[in-house]
Amino acid sequence: MNMIVCCKQVLDPEAAPSTFKLDAANNRMVQPPEIKPVVNPYDEQAVEAALRIKDKDKAANKITIISLGNNLARDVVKKPLSMGADELILLEDPAFEGGDSFAVASALAAAIKKVGQFDLIFCGRQESEWDDGQVGSGLAELLGIPSVTIAKKAEVMDGGKVKVERIVADGYQVLEVSTPALITVSNELGEARYATLKGIMAASKKQPVVWKPADIGMDAGKVGAAARKSKIVKLFQPVKEGKCDIVSADSPAEAASLLAQKLRENKVI
Amino acid sequence: MKFQGVDYYCIDDLLSTEEKMTRKMTRDFMEDVIKPLVVDAFHSEQPVEMRKFAPQMGELGLIGPFIPREYGGPGSSYVAFGLISQEIERVDSSMRSFAAVSAGLVMFPIWQYGSEEQKMKWLPAMARGEKIGCFGLTEPNVGSDVSSLETVAAKKGNKWIINGAKQWISEASIADVAVVWAKTSQGVKGFLVERGTPGFEQKFMSKKGSMRAGDVGELILNDVTVAEDSMLPKSGGLKSPLSCLNMARYGISWGALGAAMDCYETALNYTGERKQFRAPIASFQLVQEKLVTMLIEITKGQLLSYQLGRLMDAGKAKPTQISMAKKNNVGVARMCARTARELLGANGVSLEYSPIRHMANIESVYTYEGTDDIHTLIIGQDITGISAFGGGR
Repeated sequence: MNMIVCCKQVLDPEAAPSTFKLDAANNRMVQPPEIKPVVNPYDEQAVEAALRIKDKDKAANKITIISLGNNLARDVVKKPLSMGADELILLEDPAFEGGDSFAVASALAAAIKKVGQFDLIFCGRQESEWDDGQVGSGLAELLGIPSVTIAKKAEVMDGGKVKVERIVADGYQVLEVSTPALITVSNELGEARYATLKGIMAASKKQPVVWKPADIGMDAGKVGAAARKSKIVKLFQPVKEGKCDIVSADSPAEAASLLAQKLRENKVI
Repeated sequence: MKFQGVDYYCIDDLLSTEEKMTRKMTRDFMEDVIKPLVVDAFHSEQPVEMRKFAPQMGELGLIGPFIPREYGGPGSSYVAFGLISQEIERVDSSMRSFAAVSAGLVMFPIWQYGSEEQKMKWLPAMARGEKIGCFGLTEPNVGSDVSSLETVAAKKGNKWIINGAKQWISEASIADVAVVWAKTSQGVKGFLVERGTPGFEQKFMSKKGSMRAGDVGELILNDVTVAEDSMLPKSGGLKSPLSCLNMARYGISWGALGAAMDCYETALNYTGERKQFRAPIASFQLVQEKLVTMLIEITKGQLLSYQLGRLMDAGKAKPTQISMAKKNNVGVARMCARTARELLGANGVSLEYSPIRHMANIESVYTYEGTDDIHTLIIGQDITGISAFGGGR
């Protein structure tokens, strides 16, 4: 089975909020120099989902990673290779910067068409910078294949269909999907495996394939920010203010009554 | 937030992609899996269960990373081994002791001085974390002066009879095999003594004030009889155990910086948040001086370790250069631990913060694998050509 996993390099979502900075004039996030980028955690779990399929038959299954961006840190984007993926394709060019979900999905779709044969595509359910959660579904639409979102398990069945357990509000659904298909993976899949030193050394021998817009048949002037379908009107950091009123009274009953009165005045109850 | 590293001089730019990936992998594992365990282990002096965690560390390649693939190791660079040591000791020195003992003091001598059968029997299993080893050189009466070993091995037929005692041995009570150094009629030789051999006792030492999260103990050998092929055939003379110490000292030189980094990071964060006199204490000049001193010394130590690692990878490192890095960087860690403890005020004596634990651990590191003074004399002898070890006085 040929599997493709889309992995994005993101700002470390565990970075302290105080390090998070915006370029408000241009409606952009700023990468703080002291914070190292990481692979989007949901995307790591997408890699894990593919690896669990590959574990069953290493020779019969192949995993290709595709990452899109500019100035991608090699020690970050090569992590899926060190976990056990086979190949890495980087869509890396300044022109790819500033894209929205549509722009990213369009470039990924063009790259996947160039790759050619595939059975399954895995994406993280969303990426941690914008949390849009649209690239997976959009990519499936552009490729004309079915998608199953927010999966916690994916297993290849006899006959080639894929059984997917999909998270819903009160449990999970079990679905079967024919290939080719796209699956977005949620954190309920469980922890992604660590890289290993042997994996890192094997990854050192693999050079990523780098594709520019022209390599995937796209005009550099019509990708990234230029391909956006959405426009950010205003980007700002909400200011959170904490205020504490202490309700004091002579007796607990009186305090409770005063508290209820205040909550009602503030339309909490 | 996870530790982002201390890199004031852009030393990361000197590291390869794979070296950075190795550091990140080790950091993630240590922070996720081991770090939550060390405070309780230290407090109770109940060591982190290496029987449970060694296989995980082995799977990741953290045990004997420089051991060649043909013997089950990953065959990585010495810089990668250094970065692994740094990230392990950033969490706790006793864990780095386990890694350094396994790699430098047990796997290295088997690899260098063992027979092919010994290598194939032990190295792959140790690299996987299925077997654990320890190194028996130090004795109750023999520390720095290793030429005065009292443990002896006598040949009787096709067997060796070993008698003696070894003390302050990391992983003593849990080891499956001990590399025991003993005087013989053929000079100092290394022997592989397996757990359960009659007359071989492995004891845990309690009531320590340092390395409380790790296994430290003693080995007692009372007429221990081992087969002829238990001897490491290529070992001979003191240079054999001393070459092992060089490997472990190299790991320590990086590891100590990990402890120093954790102390610096803890102090930096704490002083930025702790307010006295209506201001963060980091705004006071005396506090800034201490933070800057820590950072400068860590940065110099990083450059020392980095270049030493490259020399190791090129096969050009001299033992005296390893001594310099061990002496300097452990000294840096000792200073940083004490300074960070001081900056944390009363909270600095609580195990809820790491500096007091690092401070206690580093006292062991300052003394073991060649005391600070011994490394001074090693370098002194190298630059003057005159031994100042005082032998014969």
